[in-house]
Amino acid sequence: MLMQALHEESVELIFGYPGGAALHVYDAVFRQNKIDHILVRHEQGATHAADGYARSTGKPGVVLVTSGPGATNAVTGIATAFMDSIPMVILSCQVASHLIGTDAFQETDMIGISRPIVKHSFSIEDPNEIPKIIKEAFHIATTGRQGPVVIDIPKDMTAPDKTFNYDYPSKVDIRSYKPPVAPSDNQVQRAVEAILASKKPVLYAGGGAISSNASSELIKLNNILKAPVTNTLMGLGVYPASDPYFLGMLGMHGTYQANMAMHNADLIIAIGARFDDRITNTPSLFAPNAKIIHLDIDYSSVSKIIEANIALFGEVKNSLNKIIDKLNDGSSNHNPEKFIPWLNEISEWKALHGLNHDLYLDQTDNNMILPQQVVQHVYQETEGNAFVTSDVGQHQMFAAQYYHFDEPRKWINSGSMGTMGFGLPAAMGVKLAHPKEEVVCITGEGSIQMCIQELSTCLQYNLPIKIININNEALGMVKQWQDMNYGGRHSESTYQNSLPNFVELARSFGHEGIKIEKNSDLKEGLKKAFSLKDKLVFVDIYVDPSEHVYPMLVAPNGSLKDIWLGKDKKA
Amino acid sequence: MNKRNILIILENKPGALARVVGLFHQRGYNIASLHVDAVEDVSQYSWLENDLTINLKPNEVSEMTISTSVSDTLLTQILRQINKLIDVLYAEEKK
Repeated sequence: MLMQALHEESVELIFGYPGGAALHVYDAVFRQNKIDHILVRHEQGATHAADGYARSTGKPGVVLVTSGPGATNAVTGIATAFMDSIPMVILSCQVASHLIGTDAFQETDMIGISRPIVKHSFSIEDPNEIPKIIKEAFHIATTGRQGPVVIDIPKDMTAPDKTFNYDYPSKVDIRSYKPPVAPSDNQVQRAVEAILASKKPVLYAGGGAISSNASSELIKLNNILKAPVTNTLMGLGVYPASDPYFLGMLGMHGTYQANMAMHNADLIIAIGARFDDRITNTPSLFAPNAKIIHLDIDYSSVSKIIEANIALFGEVKNSLNKIIDKLNDGSSNHNPEKFIPWLNEISEWKALHGLNHDLYLDQTDNNMILPQQVVQHVYQETEGNAFVTSDVGQHQMFAAQYYHFDEPRKWINSGSMGTMGFGLPAAMGVKLAHPKEEVVCITGEGSIQMCIQELSTCLQYNLPIKIININNEALGMVKQWQDMNYGGRHSESTYQNSLPNFVELARSFGHEGIKIEKNSDLKEGLKKAFSLKDKLVFVDIYVDPSEHVYPMLVAPNGSLKDIWLGKDKKA
Repeated sequence: MNKRNILIILENKPGALARVVGLFHQRGYNIASLHVDAVEDVSQYSWLENDLTINLKPNEVSEMTISTSVSDTLLTQILRQINKLIDVLYAEEKK
């Protein structure tokens, strides 16, 4: 019944791991052929893989785990999806109903544990409810501000010796859940008037614009406006990086020109972005002269950190379309030329302190490889077309800065939660969804070890992912903060020569490994890795361990114009 | 910071109360007092039935009153967070 209901929801893939309470369900998995199951090596891997599948396709990811440790191992992955608003349904098996509350073997209160990190959760109390609950769970996960939904399934609810009427509801109506669809005409009118009155606007687009599949609407809007655009870490790709109006990423490690443009703007149009603390720096010092127009589907995201002057509630895609229609209806006359002085001002900032891309790529005099170079070479080898997943730390920021994403859903990273261990399992989910596409996991030697067991899953399902391990033999971002704020005291951020031989490790899992230590070997080594089309290749690249990520906002108590440009160099 | 009373109408389902109370803790809001009861006489909520075009049956929803001391801005945020909970039908300041 459960499997049939999942099939009705067009589920193609489930990521999971069996166990006692899940045995009935796993027997049903065995006795059907419509849905493929991917056996991971740890439940955290299942959740991140389902998450990567969801982020790269826009379809909900599905996870199946057993009770107790199976469920708790999934918690980090559920929280990761929740913080980044990724649609996911987690089927969490539970001990039989009569055992609940008795401290039974592998019993844990998963509904209680997961409550703060789910959009909603259900507990099945009657097997007849299964189809309705599945329908509602997928509806909640995929509409409004998307997010993970947990379904707790006691073992007796799936007992194979009982039969029930199967009646899959054709539609869903939850009376207490009605997310907004489109903004009112009045608000759209006010937004357009503010846009027409502005001289220094910035379009600031985030992950919500990707969730809403609003990339083409955003491009269409800026074909009219011709205003500068910046994307958040979560929004990269929603506006093409190669477009001349694109400023790069903003925020903590954003470009100088993007942060300066935000700071000096007279109008900020936030599109599915939520003024996260990595974006605003100190909220009271944020963009002092800017009016804020905020497009969002979530009422609680608006005016939470930064007060919005005009709020457009609804699907971001619909809100953008209504603004475009209003600008095109002949009632207003927008002249893009009035933004030219503003664009010139931004160009000067870029010329002054923008990321110097050529410098890194051409660097050959120093034999030490720079991490930025690695990303640039990966970009060249993949011609900018790969799906790139990342873990968390310096390598993540270098990837975000130097791999230029021209399309949404190609950059897959744990933004808000910052979950180390995300990259490899997420890449598995992406590769399973897009078997013909190049999938690269840019990681570090710290993060990769957090879910490295999934190399075994990659062999079982033949997933030729390319793992780019930017190896600085330290927890680089922690070390950077220790360098900058703790007098260089590297407390527990290095491993004292205890790292594994990653090449041999990858080979022991049946994959290929390549070690690169010299600058002169970088290009050839990467070329070889990408030429092995049918193999997972673990490329272990030793980089300059002293390198820091810049630019970096000065914190605490800084604004968006307070920026570190290099070691001991402030803007 | 004024003392505010918030009226919440939510589905009378297992776990619904915990979601509201959990939210206060999770977001760092303090609860000064809390009262919750199943609504037997639903006729007092005919306005809500009209607003949402629904029909309520006796004891199908609960009425919750929470008092808390917060600023205007934070009150708006709290109400939006409560309204976001799937089981909540209505949350507003009770004046």
